[in-house]
Amino acid sequence: MLSVQNLDKRFGGVHATRNVSIDFPDGSLTAIIGPNGAGKTTFFNLISGAFRPNSGKVIFDGQDIVGKSSLEVVRLGMTRAFQVAEIFPSLTVTEAIMATVISHLRKSWTFLRRFPVAEARTRTEEIIELLGLADKAGTLSRNLSHGDQKLLDIGLALAMEPKVLLLDEPTAGMGPDERWRMIGKVQHLWQVKKMTVLFIEHDMDIVFKIAQRIHVLKYGAVLAQGTADEIRRNQDVIDAYLGADHHLFAAVGEA
Amino acid sequence: MNLEALASCLSSSACAVTQISTALIIGMLLFMVASGLSLIFGVLGIINFAHGAFYMAGAYIAFFTYQATSSFLLAFLAGALGAGLIGVIFERFIISKVYGKDILMQLLVCYAIILIFDDLVKIIAGPEYKMMGMPDVFALPPLEFAGGFVPAYYVFMIVASLSIGALLWLAIEKTRIGKIIRALAINPQMVGALGINTTLLYAAVFGVGSMLAGIAGSLAAPTRTLTPGMGLSILIESFIVTVIGGMGSIVGALIAALLIGFTRAFGAIGFPLFVDGIMFGMMAVVLIIKPSGLLGREIAR
Amino acid sequence: MMKAGFLRDLFFAAVVLIVLIVVPFIFTKPSLRDFLIYVMAYGLLAMSLNLLVGLTGLVSFGHAAFFVSGAYMFGLLMQSGRVSIPVAILITVCGTAVLAMVIGAICVRLKEIYFSFITLAFQMFIHSIILTWVSLTGGDQGLRGGIPRPPFFGIDLSSGASLYIFSACIFVACILIMRQVWQSPFGYTLRLIRDNPNRANYLGVDIVRMKLGVFILAGAMASVAGVLLSLFVSGAYPEFGFWTTSGEAIFMIMLGGSQLFVGPIIGAILLRLLEHFVSIYTEYHGLVLGVVILAIVLGLRQGIADYVVDFLQRRREAKAAPAKEAAFVKKRIA
Repeated sequence: MLSVQNLDKRFGGVHATRNVSIDFPDGSLTAIIGPNGAGKTTFFNLISGAFRPNSGKVIFDGQDIVGKSSLEVVRLGMTRAFQVAEIFPSLTVTEAIMATVISHLRKSWTFLRRFPVAEARTRTEEIIELLGLADKAGTLSRNLSHGDQKLLDIGLALAMEPKVLLLDEPTAGMGPDERWRMIGKVQHLWQVKKMTVLFIEHDMDIVFKIAQRIHVLKYGAVLAQGTADEIRRNQDVIDAYLGADHHLFAAVGEA
Repeated sequence: MNLEALASCLSSSACAVTQISTALIIGMLLFMVASGLSLIFGVLGIINFAHGAFYMAGAYIAFFTYQATSSFLLAFLAGALGAGLIGVIFERFIISKVYGKDILMQLLVCYAIILIFDDLVKIIAGPEYKMMGMPDVFALPPLEFAGGFVPAYYVFMIVASLSIGALLWLAIEKTRIGKIIRALAINPQMVGALGINTTLLYAAVFGVGSMLAGIAGSLAAPTRTLTPGMGLSILIESFIVTVIGGMGSIVGALIAALLIGFTRAFGAIGFPLFVDGIMFGMMAVVLIIKPSGLLGREIAR
Repeated sequence: MMKAGFLRDLFFAAVVLIVLIVVPFIFTKPSLRDFLIYVMAYGLLAMSLNLLVGLTGLVSFGHAAFFVSGAYMFGLLMQSGRVSIPVAILITVCGTAVLAMVIGAICVRLKEIYFSFITLAFQMFIHSIILTWVSLTGGDQGLRGGIPRPPFFGIDLSSGASLYIFSACIFVACILIMRQVWQSPFGYTLRLIRDNPNRANYLGVDIVRMKLGVFILAGAMASVAGVLLSLFVSGAYPEFGFWTTSGEAIFMIMLGGSQLFVGPIIGAILLRLLEHFVSIYTEYHGLVLGVVILAIVLGLRQGIADYVVDFLQRRREAKAAPAKEAAFVKKRIA
């Protein structure tokens, strides 16, 4: 579905992404991890068309999408949610999701019909149901709790019926319980929708628990990749991530 | 259109010198007003649509002080400081309430101030035109340059404006306070975290910006008729200057002010009706090619 | 759903139209009719501008460019004597739409304040052209000699009453069109752009094209406002395209409120009334107006209509909250 080949990006003197090659199989759930400043968000920006890489290929659904604008990439079927929820403050949950569904249906230029539009309704309700926001459907987005705003952000991305969904730290800024609820929902909708999901995450427990494959970035380069067990035992990762504090890492891994 | 008149003026050195001196004083007044506007925008992120009102305030204060004391120096100082003081009051009690609000709120507040100031001037000074007249100190014979004559006061205006502009530039680029102010423009939280009173700094910057408008007003007073509403036309032009020169750039303001000054002075001969068209056309071209202006930075955000 | 909403709007439109038509025949003071004409022409201008400001988040300082182009195009077409009024209106609207497309294609690429400035620049450029091109436009004297109103389809607009009714119909029709846009999928997509353009882009919304679309639409609507005004004053003047006209329209939006559909009309009415009554009591109406604006901005922090809507909503929520809580407590006890 998605394959990144020799991706490279420099910002002036900063080498943010170094020769990264990763395959994301169809329908996989993959975690991107790495210490702060490892270039995880930059990696998302490169594949989603926000930045243009200096070299390398991003093969999405059989074609190289390097050079395409973020709008074109979205329309090809790759959407993203953001680390800080990017929502529409003055619209209700239903309005925001329905307007997005309409955008997906390419009906944004419809003048002669009225909102809400019948053929977008089923899909809108389905997404709201899937996220568990049904009792807040009529709430203004700006009045939602932090966690619900993050959910809505994901819901907006879902409304585009993506083939590939990029989630930048879906659990950022949440307490431990809320994190597990959130990631449970992510896992659930991955199973239901059978999409390819990439997510950036800091919480090792979460990563080891749900990710099929894990890719570790450090200084913009791939340090290690593999299953949870492989990563947990990888000495490079242990060194890079936690310095000498191996025991803590092992303990966290087994918890 | 009368391009022949323009050509014949350019070929006669007397006419050319007269027009160049006119261009320079228009440019200098605009430079003073626009550099204040630019400073306030650069540091506070506020577009002070009421800036013309401070220009007017400076001119009227200078006028009344001159009437009372017959001293141009006192009149000049009173105009500058008076406008600065009004600026500080305006910042503290009104503009600071709309920091971070959308631009329309700022626009509206400034519009209200313009309306209020214009009527206050009508009440205090009367609606009729006022002439300050040339101060005695400058009652000198005009200076001759290449066959053209330039009033002594014009020379003083040009020198004074350039010196004040240079002082401002030095203060911002070379002093510690200037460094803090530049930091304030980029990261106010950080400056606040360093234990510097940002509220006071904001008021001070706004005060200096208004003072520059006041300086322009008091410099203009001997050469212009004073009317309520005189702030508006210079406001529009100084906006053009700020946009062309680049928001937040003093050197940019100077270049753009001269550009507009020359367009006005020579356009008045060649294409009097289309001077505005040329000015706004230049503004549009700059915005299309480089929205941040000739020497401006992109607004961070 | 769609039908119910549209029928309700249609009903409101019919009521407004009847009121607009009947009132001046009951209260026959000419000043009342002038007032209504002013509200219609400038209200339409402010409403069309609010498609940009309130719906899309595009603060244009140069919207009067299309108002003045409407007035002059229509005036010149009628003076040429070759076309009937409806054809002239059609050509004017299409011509202004083309003008808006050209200007908009350049402007909508710029963001925030730069968009505001470049729209202002284009408007003032057009204003200068009108002043300079004396042979066509009459320069600063305006388009004089009257605008002829030949009869069409058996309708004769030469009498004041029939002209008034004709204008009221056009006004209401335009408001209905804009209401439809406001409620359509197009309108909601514009709200996405207003709230968070970057996010909208990542949700497949072509921001630049959408902005251009609404810019053209708003320009076309403003040209109709210009046509109405030129019909009434039987001429066109450069001041229609001066920056103060755009400023006045913005002011109406801010006074009335940008988030409520009819906010700008309310603003137009309030502004006119305010000017009228203040000037009766004092010659310093700028002073009073200024203080009122300061009170609104610093006190309410939004337009009057928006404030009232929010206030009512807060009260409803406050009423609903204790009731909910009581129900919840009851449930727990049970």
